[in-house]
Amino acid sequence: MTAPAAKKYPRRKIIAGAGALGGLLLTGCDTDLHRPPVLRNGLMGVADTLTMASQRLLLSGQQLVQEHDVSEITKDFPVWNQSDPEDEDYQRLKAGAYVDWRLPVSGLVNSPVSLSLEELKRMPRRTQTTMHICEQGWSAIAQWTGAPLISVLEAAGGVKPQARYVMIDAYGGWYEGYDMFDVVHPQTILAYGMNGQDLPLGNGAPLRLRVERHCGYKQLKFIKSIQVVDSVEGFGRGTGGINSDFGFHWYAGA
Amino acid sequence: MSRETPSWIHRHSYNARICHWVNVLCFFYLLYSGIMIFLHFPELYWGKVGFQGYPAIFKLSDWGISWELAEELGDRRWGRNYHYMFAWIFVINGIVYLTWNLWQRQFYRKMLPSRTEMSGENFKAELYNHLRFRPAQGDAARRYNVLQKLSYLFVLFILFPFMFLSGIAQMPAFTAIWPELIDLFGGRQTARTLHVVATVLLVLFLIVHVAEVFVAGVRNQMRAMITGKYQISAEEGK
Repeated sequence: MTAPAAKKYPRRKIIAGAGALGGLLLTGCDTDLHRPPVLRNGLMGVADTLTMASQRLLLSGQQLVQEHDVSEITKDFPVWNQSDPEDEDYQRLKAGAYVDWRLPVSGLVNSPVSLSLEELKRMPRRTQTTMHICEQGWSAIAQWTGAPLISVLEAAGGVKPQARYVMIDAYGGWYEGYDMFDVVHPQTILAYGMNGQDLPLGNGAPLRLRVERHCGYKQLKFIKSIQVVDSVEGFGRGTGGINSDFGFHWYAGA
Repeated sequence: MSRETPSWIHRHSYNARICHWVNVLCFFYLLYSGIMIFLHFPELYWGKVGFQGYPAIFKLSDWGISWELAEELGDRRWGRNYHYMFAWIFVINGIVYLTWNLWQRQFYRKMLPSRTEMSGENFKAELYNHLRFRPAQGDAARRYNVLQKLSYLFVLFILFPFMFLSGIAQMPAFTAIWPELIDLFGGRQTARTLHVVATVLLVLFLIVHVAEVFVAGVRNQMRAMITGKYQISAEEGK
């Protein structure tokens, strides 16, 4: 599937989200909030754009998702998709209790860094009890603790003005892309804790993404590295994520 | 006004005819893609949460279709893509239809039952006619009968909006946009279950709707919905 000659839509600026988060140099960073990085052909692309644009319009206040009471936390939270990556590197890190695990943050950031789990845990943290909604139909509630993605990018000196997407790689060959609208949302966190404990293996140890407002397939587990880019080209089949490479809508808010 | 009945009337407007057939297409694709999505998770739950292993209120496996078989029959990728595509066509078509009909006062003129129509006597008579498969003739055939009016109003103003609302209540973005809506349904899984229940009601309506077309005369009805022209047969005994 090739990228259709997409019409240029007016670019919007992220001001609201970044301003509220204070200090990050994302203010003034241009990105297109109303359509996916690659539009699908024909009516499907029109529908995708309608879905994403209408939801982004309704979300323009960067409202928080509903948080639930801890008493509502689901016992036996399901383990979906890969539960223990066969990746050799991953198995070695797991055997070492993730002491040697590092999170490289590179690409269009001002000072690339590589963070250990301890360093992430020393960062400002956020705990949220939210509902996980799988595209297949199930839902479950869990409490997640982690560092806001925006804090991690700040630790790397903030992003350069041409930054448009944050690409996250995971062990086991998974990867996903996120636009700045989701990156600056206060509830977008890199979670190392679940229900008050370290993130369990099946739920993506040692680090997974929580990008609330999206279906489960955007909640990447077993995170390996983060790269800030201005284009999704060169990643997988070039649609901006492994799920859209396989025919799902890149934007998973619906 | 002349007392004699002309044999031909103009039954359906351009707007009604176009919107009707667009809706037929949407209905088919939404139903089919919805089934494809459902088959990939063939259980229903009540409340906020639900997943494989959680107490279900409906399991397709209880009806002889195992989870594995259902998964094989379904196609959620195709299903999701087409469900949203036709949901948009359905919504836009619905807005066009509603706006035009409100503007032209068509709902008021064609679908709002009068007080006499709502009388118990008339209800009994209409029900009797329906059960005997006796379609309206003569003057009565110029209008929708009271059961027809009420069922159209129910589908247009209750079931369709309900499908829309229970649909968006399942979307993750709405946990931020309008969480009160999800709570109003009693949770995300309840919204999903009620979406399926309303689907069953719509399918029942469709079955009766199509059956009535045959009872009332398929040629005349189809011609009316395609060209707008509708033939009125003379009343018995006249």
